Amino acid sequence: MLSLLCCLGVWEATVRYFDVPVYLIPAPSLIATKLMTAYPLFLQESLHSVISIIIGFTLAVAVGIPAATLMIYSEWFRRGIYPILLTAQVLPKVALAPLFIVWFGFGLLPKVLMTFLISFFPIVIDTLTGLNSVRPESLMLIRSMGGSRWQSFWKIRLPTALPSIFGGFKVAITFAVVGTIVAEFVGSDHGLGYILVLARGNLDTVTVFAAILWLIAIGFLFYFAVEVAERIFIRGRAARRSHELGAGL
Amino acid sequence: MLDVAATGPLIDVRSISKLFQTGEETVHALRDITFGISQGEFVSLLGPSGCGKTTLMMIMVGLTSANTGEARIGGRRIDEPFTDVGIVFQTPELLDWRTAQENVLLQIEIRRLPVRNYIERARALLAQVGLEGFENKLPFELSGGMKQRVALCRALIHDPEILLMDEPFGALDALTRDQMNLDLQRIWLEKRKTAVFVTHSIDEAVFLSDRIIVMTPRPGAIAEIIKVDLPRPRTLDQKDAPEFSAFTKHIRKRFMDLGVLKDG
Ligand SMILES: Nc1ncnc2c1ncn2[C@@H]1O[C@H](COP(=O)(O)OP(=O)(O)O)[C@@H](O)[C@H]1O
Ligand SMILES: [Mg+2]
Repeated sequence: MLSLLCCLGVWEATVRYFDVPVYLIPAPSLIATKLMTAYPLFLQESLHSVISIIIGFTLAVAVGIPAATLMIYSEWFRRGIYPILLTAQVLPKVALAPLFIVWFGFGLLPKVLMTFLISFFPIVIDTLTGLNSVRPESLMLIRSMGGSRWQSFWKIRLPTALPSIFGGFKVAITFAVVGTIVAEFVGSDHGLGYILVLARGNLDTVTVFAAILWLIAIGFLFYFAVEVAERIFIRGRAARRSHELGAGL
Repeated sequence: MLDVAATGPLIDVRSISKLFQTGEETVHALRDITFGISQGEFVSLLGPSGCGKTTLMMIMVGLTSANTGEARIGGRRIDEPFTDVGIVFQTPELLDWRTAQENVLLQIEIRRLPVRNYIERARALLAQVGLEGFENKLPFELSGGMKQRVALCRALIHDPEILLMDEPFGALDALTRDQMNLDLQRIWLEKRKTAVFVTHSIDEAVFLSDRIIVMTPRPGAIAEIIKVDLPRPRTLDQKDAPEFSAFTKHIRKRFMDLGVLKDG
């Protein structure tokens, strides 16, 4: 926190001392003023972005986890879906954005779609890794208890996979923010990405910086939300203890 | 106890062979294994690492299939997992988000038995193996020996007909291991349920067993079946007695002959 304040101080002083033009790098004080005065606008536009991020990410979770589960249990499904999944991942999704506009217009749908696409992959891959990390002995134990596939999934596989799944969520949620902003960049009539493009067009660098700050805040908020959920869902994991015993190794 | 002669062996293993196909390679794990285990008997499978002990144990309860031969329990051919059993593996296989007690009760939950009715029994079992006060601890708060005790309780809570243990104390230090052997004997003596115990410790096998099935290196076959008619309860001191060492010496010699052990 202190280091951040120092940085801001140096920034302010430098900009003032060298008289850097405002459209290049505005002073922090200017940005702060902008944040205060244009607060309602930013809030309103953020809401557009936030909605797209939430829907896109939720969709990615709602489709990603069942998809990974199916991949575990069905060889046939896994073989069929994997090439598609990989193609969708290596293809630069940003390049799809203009197409989405042609197909779906400027509304919420293309943004949600982009967000979904970009955050889907880490969720599927990490869920897959997690579900596969179950020890065969654990499953044999369940079989010796006469347990069903359903039981072994809910009582063993899924809980075992949770740390890995949340790892995927953390990557995916930051991707989701990028996905929405990129979609708004390319073509949208609302959202922080749209504000960014607009401000840049007007050489309104102060607004650009302010919007970026909002984006950072939103990114942090979402990431934090995932961490809180992780802590609620995962109890008794030895991560903290191993850190303690490892003494930082 | 049941009249064994009248009912025949509880577990009946007949001419079992097992091959594993991994890519191009075929591993011949078990070769023509035949034996019977009576109800209430404590039998050890003793053999070098990789001789197919685990595989054989899994075949006995239908968790793995054999290539030839068949296993029967109580006269019934085993084609699918036999569930009136409790299993302890070498690793505790505890779920790290469940407390000791919850881990024990997993057995009950999966079997869809009324968990409430078993809570007292779970606590009693844990107390019996010296884990009183640890019921609500999570696995990472327990030592290796404690975790294995929890695993043992989980294998016993539903009072199974058969108890299977696959090198359950193999990863423990010698002292803890001795204590576990004593505890296991005490618990087993209470009900004398049929127990099959896999180990590669000669000492442990002699200490615990009524009979020891000595196996050859892979492909695992039966080298000899030894009846250990030492009185029970056995004590650690007895391990130094000549009657006890007669068995260990005999088995060691057998392993020498099989080339499992070599003089330096
Ligand atoms: N699922 C498997 N696939 C291929 N080979 C296996 C498999 N399970 C066991 N084996 C092989 O069969 C042999 C016997 O294994 P195992 O029963 O685990 O021996 P033990 O328990 O006596 O150490 C070993 O050589 C092992 O490599
Ligand atoms: Mg083994």
